[in-house]
Amino acid sequence: MYKDLDPLLHSQLRLAVISILIASDEADFVFLREKTGATPGNLSVQLEKLKEAGYLEIRKTFRGKMPRTICKITPKGINAFEKYVQAIQEYIRPGQ
Amino acid sequence: METLFSEKQSLELISQMISSAKNRLQKGTGKIFLLWGYMVAVISLLIFILLMILPGENKYYSYMLWILMVLGVPFHIQLVKRMEHEQLVKTYIDKIMDFVWIAFTISILTVITGMVISTLLLQIKSVVVEPGHEFLLWFPWLFVTPVMLCLYGLALFISGKSYKFRPLVVGGYICWGGAFFLIIFFHHPHLLKIQQIVLCISAVAGFIIPGHLLNKKEQSDV
Repeated sequence: MYKDLDPLLHSQLRLAVISILIASDEADFVFLREKTGATPGNLSVQLEKLKEAGYLEIRKTFRGKMPRTICKITPKGINAFEKYVQAIQEYIRPGQ
Repeated sequence: METLFSEKQSLELISQMISSAKNRLQKGTGKIFLLWGYMVAVISLLIFILLMILPGENKYYSYMLWILMVLGVPFHIQLVKRMEHEQLVKTYIDKIMDFVWIAFTISILTVITGMVISTLLLQIKSVVVEPGHEFLLWFPWLFVTPVMLCLYGLALFISGKSYKFRPLVVGGYICWGGAFFLIIFFHHPHLLKIQQIVLCISAVAGFIIPGHLLNKKEQSDV
């Protein structure tokens, strides 16, 4: 039987964010927005959902006088991502 | 605003996003390479000139010019702060490279401060060595430059390979080549002068040229 896909990750924007954070130690909100092409409002909402699930940490700092948001994936987020990729691989494995 | 998509599309998205955060040298790295590259090149060249023109034992005081390297520290801190300020993403490679260059700096400082303290202790204690063995007092200094060049080579090679930036790798090979050359010719009567020239060439090849190329790359990437 197929494993259920994590509904939190099986969404284009949240998966894009988690994939970027898997490849980086930490990423700025601006970077995530540029790479995903999302609107600031939508990205903030999705980041908040991932944060509530414990998949990422959000740190607020300042760059000069400008506020800055830095995101970092948590061990729980890494684990969820790995499970998600495994489940996806099972779905698309040939002969199934 | 959630878009659901097929499993295949999700794998494509993962791969696309991961490659978008792939390793590239942090913006501003070129300036740091140029700062230290020019400092080493200019100081080694000045020492070479002083070794040529100063008479007798006085010429060895020209090595004191290395203290001028301290002047680079505030500029370095300023450049690092600016880099952190502008940096939007920090990859794992960036983090490891920070550790490599910190380890490099600690290694260099360990060699230099260790040698300086050991020399001062010899002066303070007025160590007397057996006749014919006076060379033991200054002999270890002959290997400081090759050791430094090996450390340059190590840090440049790791950085160049990690960020896939060939000029740094080539610079690393040149530093190692310079170290090898200085070790095999350590008995040469003009070794001290040759060391300064090799150090200057290594600074140009390992730091100045890659630094300018990085700056050029940064401008074209914008």
